Amino acid sequence: MKSPEKGALSEHVLDEIKELPAKYPQPRSAVMPALDLAQEELGHLTPAAMSEVAATLQLDPGYVEGVATFYSLFHLEPVGKHRFYVCTNLSCALRGANEIVDHVKRSIGVGRSDQVSADGLFSFEEVECLGACEFAPMMRLDHRYHYDLTSEAIDTLIAERKGVGKVKVPSPPRGAINGRSARERAVLDAPGAQGQGEGLKRRQPRKKKADA
Amino acid sequence: MPDLRGSHGDQPHHILTRWFGTPDLHRLDVYSGKPGGYAALRTAFLEMAPAEITNEVKASGLRGRGGAGFATGTKWSFINRDAPGPKYVVVNADESEPGTSKDRYLLENSPHMLVEGILIAAYAVGANQAWVYIRGEYDEPYRMLHEAIEEARAKGYVGSRPFGKDYPLDIRLYRGHGAYICGEETALLESLEGKRAQPRSRPPFPAVKGAWGRPTLLNNVETLSTVPWIINNGGAAYAKLGTEKSPGTRLMSVSGNVLKPGVYEVELGQTFRHVIMELAGGPPEGRKVKVFWPGGSSAPVLPESMLDTHTDMEALAAAKSMGGSGGVIVMDDKHCIVRAAHRLLRFYAHESCGKCTPCRIGGDWAVRTYERILANEGSQVELDTLQRVSDGLQNGRCLCGLGDSAGWVIDSTLRHFREEYVDHAIRHECNVEAPPAASGRHLPMDREEKTASA
Repeated sequence: MKSPEKGALSEHVLDEIKELPAKYPQPRSAVMPALDLAQEELGHLTPAAMSEVAATLQLDPGYVEGVATFYSLFHLEPVGKHRFYVCTNLSCALRGANEIVDHVKRSIGVGRSDQVSADGLFSFEEVECLGACEFAPMMRLDHRYHYDLTSEAIDTLIAERKGVGKVKVPSPPRGAINGRSARERAVLDAPGAQGQGEGLKRRQPRKKKADA
Repeated sequence: MPDLRGSHGDQPHHILTRWFGTPDLHRLDVYSGKPGGYAALRTAFLEMAPAEITNEVKASGLRGRGGAGFATGTKWSFINRDAPGPKYVVVNADESEPGTSKDRYLLENSPHMLVEGILIAAYAVGANQAWVYIRGEYDEPYRMLHEAIEEARAKGYVGSRPFGKDYPLDIRLYRGHGAYICGEETALLESLEGKRAQPRSRPPFPAVKGAWGRPTLLNNVETLSTVPWIINNGGAAYAKLGTEKSPGTRLMSVSGNVLKPGVYEVELGQTFRHVIMELAGGPPEGRKVKVFWPGGSSAPVLPESMLDTHTDMEALAAAKSMGGSGGVIVMDDKHCIVRAAHRLLRFYAHESCGKCTPCRIGGDWAVRTYERILANEGSQVELDTLQRVSDGLQNGRCLCGLGDSAGWVIDSTLRHFREEYVDHAIRHECNVEAPPAASGRHLPMDREEKTASA
């Protein structure tokens, strides 16, 4: 792992991370909430960000990376601003999830999961059961579940997100355990609210080393 | 909140869902306004000794609804209430068994029922702090549960002196990050402690050494949501429902090829024919049920001829399956069993945590074998390999049930649908109108093949 670059994460995020360990019976439990905050700021977890999380929590960088790589909701590669998590486990597959995946791929112009669309707006991945099988086929997009999917529904969701500034990515829900309460967040997330999107301005994904 | 697909409204066998459909049931004032809402907590806290609460739960015969079906009251009694130092209640809300959506249904409709159940359980086992481990993809349930806890805090039910009694209670939330294995209780504890979620060997059991090394009671969302009703109506009333060894009701989420998929509350002992053909409306016009998974994808499959199997755990065990998580996946005769099993094996291969060798290697091995069969490169050798891998995965060779589950998928589909396997592996034909197989998440082997072919 590279040595931590200064400033991968902004000061206010690092300050939030510093406060996390005290909220748990043992400080190590703070590692995932901390990685969450890092990912919320950057869009994905860069080696530098993981190192900063490790340094802030006084953990070994390798340990933090080990946790990050274990869980599928942590992204180690850049993802689109809007990410489709399409369930293709059995209950959804039996009700047309494969067609939905094909349609998403075609519509955002990617050939495989994890590839980011040319405009950086979209990416997708096939995921395992999301626990809403009575609404199959379904997916998660921008921290919301979308049910009874059809090609038309996908088209609408994409069109809405292509319109400039029309759909903002809501923040993931946060409870009292990491930062503001959901109620406070709901106020912050309201349209036109001050501070909207403070944690959402993502850096441009750093240029990947020339794709071989 | 989306429309309600499943049981709701007052019916004699609706214990969990009797108030569902009431507008704003997720709000404390609405929930408290119902006859019995938060009354159980008051009764338990002010009128009952902790041991009495546990005995009432024991008398109900309630069994864990997460998958294993262990007697809940007995589990509670394993915690030594008088042991010094902190004890915890940990709630398993990491619902991720394929085909299961009942905990989401409960959390979105009636989070206060769970909050009440958690507080009663914490008091009964002598814990002051409860942690709810909720899967990371559940954004809306998380918000709703968090709101419910904050409302209960404002009311004083969660806080330093609930009902004026010197017994502090707190509930905290912890979000999972997308790992099926976290539904396994010791893997969940590892994750809660900020580690890679790999199951622990037992003993020590969580009741002795659980979260952060302390005595811990782990229960599923549905299990704890049932507790307030038991306290209000008595364990004996609950035991009257269902069968003798599997009393009460349970939520069954029916999905797949049925006309009315939904989460249905079913009195245990009803038949799957009732659940699938009546409650869920049966398969689409002109189709027949081919096979169903009676308790999530991990429960061995049952063919159409076994639709009259009863839903209680004993009947399912006799049918060589299990009640599992209550997720009923129905597949009609349009679909191919080999492809379905292949998709599920890719799931188990991806979700193996890698700690135990049979599971880490067996899942991959099975997927490769399925892929040879589906590419029409199979023979008797592949069928034998599948059986051997399946045997190697089962019978407690791993620390947790994930390996067994993967083995059961192979074993039970082979047992009931050998002809179809033979068609694929030896005759190289598929005799059903099957859709292209879903591939699911990327597995390391996919990359290997890509590099090899490049």
